[in-house]
Amino acid sequence: MRFLVVDDSAMMRRMIIKALNGVGHDDVKEAGNGKEGLDALAQGGIDMILTDWNMPQMSGLEFVKALRALDGTRTTPVLMVTTNVSPDDLAEAKTAGISDYVSKPFTSDVLKEKIEKVLRG
Amino acid sequence: MSQSIDAMLAMLATSTREVFETMATPLDAKPPRSGGVMAGPCGVLGIIAFAGERSGSVSFYSSEAAAVKVTSAMTGIPEAEVNGEMPDAIGEITNMIAGTFRTRMAAAGTRWAISTPSVTIGWQLRTKHYGTVHTGLCEFTMPGGEPLFVELVLTEE
Repeated sequence: MRFLVVDDSAMMRRMIIKALNGVGHDDVKEAGNGKEGLDALAQGGIDMILTDWNMPQMSGLEFVKALRALDGTRTTPVLMVTTNVSPDDLAEAKTAGISDYVSKPFTSDVLKEKIEKVLRG
Repeated sequence: MSQSIDAMLAMLATSTREVFETMATPLDAKPPRSGGVMAGPCGVLGIIAFAGERSGSVSFYSSEAAAVKVTSAMTGIPEAEVNGEMPDAIGEITNMIAGTFRTRMAAAGTRWAISTPSVTIGWQLRTKHYGTVHTGLCEFTMPGGEPLFVELVLTEE
């Protein structure tokens, strides 16, 4: 199973990838913003996406809207990892097409639970 | 605005402690000071601006040595090996503090948009506020005794 982690913070990507590795997922691609994320998706083979919201160039919300408009990623699970977790934020993100979210700050156990929940559908 | 600056500072202090406890290390806190500003020099400054019903900023201040300790606690990298990760870590911790504070403010009825963080690293950095602003300062201590500061600045209503 191949994951795509999209975050402008290299440190956050590293922490998320470490958490993924800790639960047995070693096949992970990285992108630093939504545009790079779309480029990575264009190459195909991504089974699940974890994305930040607040990013320069293309935000996570714009990224999710864009990937949901593509045939190849219309149903790919998307987990948003973000501090934007007010009810208004979550309603906007769900309308854009996220599958679920993880609130920052988070523990690796919470991230693992959310990934497993999304993968179960 | 329905919250007093004292109530907002209490939310900011709670948000900071929550972020550090989850991502780095538990902190001891002093009572937040309404009207307080970060007066002393520091080496690292992370700042996030917000806008909405009020505009202003949330700033994180520490020494460079304390910022390295925070980075090590967040990433698991030994302090001696922390290098380019530090600005990124301080940007992210500032983002989480401001984001958690924003969520608490939203629950209390005040909605803000926040910027992405910017981080400045230097020597004897000081900030000065021009114009009419309200300020407040939250002071914390890491387990090794290093002080950390989080400052709230609000423009006049």
